[in-house]
Amino acid sequence: MDFSIVAEIFEKMENTTKRIELTNILVELLKKTPKKIIPNAVYLLQGIIRPNFEGVELGIAEKLAIRAISKSAGLPIKKIEDDYRECGDLGLTASNMLKIKTQTTFTAEKITVERVYETLFKIAKLEGKGSQDLKMKYISSLLNDATPLEAKFVLKILLGTLRLGIAENTVMDALAIAFTGKKENREQIENAYNVSSDLGKVSLIVATDGIDEIKKFKISLFSPIRPMLADRVQSEKDVIKKMPEQFAAEYKLDGERVQIHKQSDKIILFSRRLENITQYYPDIVENIGKSLNVNEGIFEAEIVPINENTGDFLPFQELMHRRRKYKLDEAVSQYPITVNFFDVLYFDNKDCLNLEYSERRKILEKLVNEDNFSKLVPMLLVKNENEVGDFLENSINAGCEGLMLKTPSAPYRAGTRGSNWLKLKREYRNELGDSFDLIVIGAYFGRGRRTGLYGTLLLATYNPEKDNFPSICKVGTGFTDESLDQLYQILSNNVTLKKNSRIVSEMEADVWFEPKLVLEIVGSEITLSPIHKTGLDLIRKSSGFALRFPKFTGKIRYEKAVEDASTVEEVLALYKRQSKINQEI
Amino acid sequence: MIKLEFSAKTNTSNEWKAIISAISTLVEEATFEATVEGVSFRGMDPSHVALIDISWPNSAFEKYSCDSDIKFGVRIDEFSKIIKRAEKSESVEINISEDSMLRVSIGKNKKYKMRLIESSVSDTPLPKITYDSKIALSSTGLDKILGDIEVVSDYLSIKTTSKNVEFSGKGDSGEAIINLEKDTEELEEISVTQESTGTYSLEYLNPIVKAMGGAAGSIICEFSSAKPLRIEFKVTNIGRIHFYLAPRVES
Repeated sequence: MDFSIVAEIFEKMENTTKRIELTNILVELLKKTPKKIIPNAVYLLQGIIRPNFEGVELGIAEKLAIRAISKSAGLPIKKIEDDYRECGDLGLTASNMLKIKTQTTFTAEKITVERVYETLFKIAKLEGKGSQDLKMKYISSLLNDATPLEAKFVLKILLGTLRLGIAENTVMDALAIAFTGKKENREQIENAYNVSSDLGKVSLIVATDGIDEIKKFKISLFSPIRPMLADRVQSEKDVIKKMPEQFAAEYKLDGERVQIHKQSDKIILFSRRLENITQYYPDIVENIGKSLNVNEGIFEAEIVPINENTGDFLPFQELMHRRRKYKLDEAVSQYPITVNFFDVLYFDNKDCLNLEYSERRKILEKLVNEDNFSKLVPMLLVKNENEVGDFLENSINAGCEGLMLKTPSAPYRAGTRGSNWLKLKREYRNELGDSFDLIVIGAYFGRGRRTGLYGTLLLATYNPEKDNFPSICKVGTGFTDESLDQLYQILSNNVTLKKNSRIVSEMEADVWFEPKLVLEIVGSEITLSPIHKTGLDLIRKSSGFALRFPKFTGKIRYEKAVEDASTVEEVLALYKRQSKINQEI
Repeated sequence: MIKLEFSAKTNTSNEWKAIISAISTLVEEATFEATVEGVSFRGMDPSHVALIDISWPNSAFEKYSCDSDIKFGVRIDEFSKIIKRAEKSESVEINISEDSMLRVSIGKNKKYKMRLIESSVSDTPLPKITYDSKIALSSTGLDKILGDIEVVSDYLSIKTTSKNVEFSGKGDSGEAIINLEKDTEELEEISVTQESTGTYSLEYLNPIVKAMGGAAGSIICEFSSAKPLRIEFKVTNIGRIHFYLAPRVES
């Protein structure tokens, strides 16, 4: 399949922000694509070449890309840098430069989707001495045969700056329409995606074998299951309102949620965002086998840093010391951990997802041998407010954040958030109940000491219904010089030329970001605002919610995906509660 | 006793050294083809801007035998390391037998075995061009000219008339012109059927001319306006080493 077809469709997608239109364009693309390479197309349009959990990353540096463009176009590096500075997008620069290309070549083959994909895959796999030069040559060989439009998208994929504004949901809608004729079948497709986290694999099955095969889709080891998520509640009272007969209450540990896949001696660990984090926890790989009475299994646990002398839990932030490549041994011995199991999703050929929570907990207790390293998360069945309150107290005293409350009869709903799981965090009096996890969507350049950095950030909540990010506040306090620096380093890689189609804001930010980074923010009050878009029209026509006196707590929530950020609904609940308290006073 | 499918011996190591250094400027992996007539190589750099065509007839070897046509692929860096172990005056013999290893015997007593890699099968056609201009000069002479131009430019323009050839380059910092007249010591030969101007990237020219500087005595450059450049490196005991370079054109 000619890559030009894909490039033209990508161009169309870049020029629309309407989800329905995006879906239609996507359906058109999927129908045109030979079935064999549907997964490749599905990966490429998400700007990846393998599912994220495999960690195959392109990570091409701009400098290298500039050299490749220079070589292919036969133009000096300076000219390319100048153009880039002007338009701010290397993909566009590549396209501009190829339009005025002076270097001719001996053969110009059409480039195909297959060739682009294979070349990108080779580039991602290259490492070690001389690999930079070879990468440059591979890129250059693609650019030599590429049209300006094709070059634009090849570069964007390489640099990880392809922003078509397509959410996974949109892809699944399009798959359902293109290959089953019915959008309703999206649910089956989503189920398969939820237990495999691999849209490419799922798309191939839908395209070749149809919806019936998708219904039979099974869990496979080392392909992570998308985690079940919890709704947030504000108080013990709210818990009771939502309680069936009883809840299974678990301590909510302040650690890193991990999905452990085991097959004999092979252990792979996936983070909550489904990245492979095995390398950071060699101690788990070494020790966990002894604690698990199974040959094969998929478990969920919370990794918590501890004080080795007292056994006390330490804050989650301590785990970040392990996120490094060098001298990991030191970090491992310096920052010891425990692994606290709370769920089992699969073991020895048994899929546990459809079992009730109480069943799964029973199995879990049988399969896990507790020792100093491996534990079960403490659980208690609770029936009323007092019991919830007492257990919450115990949990806080043990150094935990609060409670998880789970419906004992509920199955494990992979990849979904719902009221079968609730989280209750400790409550602060006279303040807004809790901190918020907000998404950075834009920024304003700083002045004075903050010149050259982002002085103020524009933040958003997540709206799961519309799958978008409405703004809620600007934040400029709570930053240290270090955190400003660090945020600049991280955020400057996420800059986009135009506002991402999932961002809802009418503010004029200096720069817009790909919504990727989540920060912890506290505030004093939620007010109605004509400016911000969170909860627009919910309380008053043309007004949304704004967070008053927002302040950055210093915590960057690396472990959270943007879809895990505070939701519109949570803000609404807080707003309602706050006005009730005000009336009572 | 291992049955030899292919074996070729040269009296010195110079030939292999020249060939390997030429190829190494273009590709990491090379596929050679051996037939009854001799050994050949043809390959393009990944960007398809430069091409090397080598033909090494059996008569140029001290000893040569080839039972059936055979293609063999090597990693150039690995092959190069081994050949570099040979002194100038030492003979080099390569053999391929059924076990798909390349055996390299150097001088009297050094014997290497090297893994072969999967050979690529792509056919590389040669550009079909009528060359309007032809000049001959020493390889060290060309090397110096490229050095002179490189100071200000990343490309080389060549302009011929029946009486002279002008090498030039231009960059942000300024420009350079080197003029060679007919019937002077620097210019061994010039023949022009039509005055021509061609522009070529130094990024490709420099490495190959440097690599061949020692081995090649004189070189012949042929080109036409806005058409590829062909450089022939004359190396003793090798039939033909041709380097083709696609031009740069003003847009």
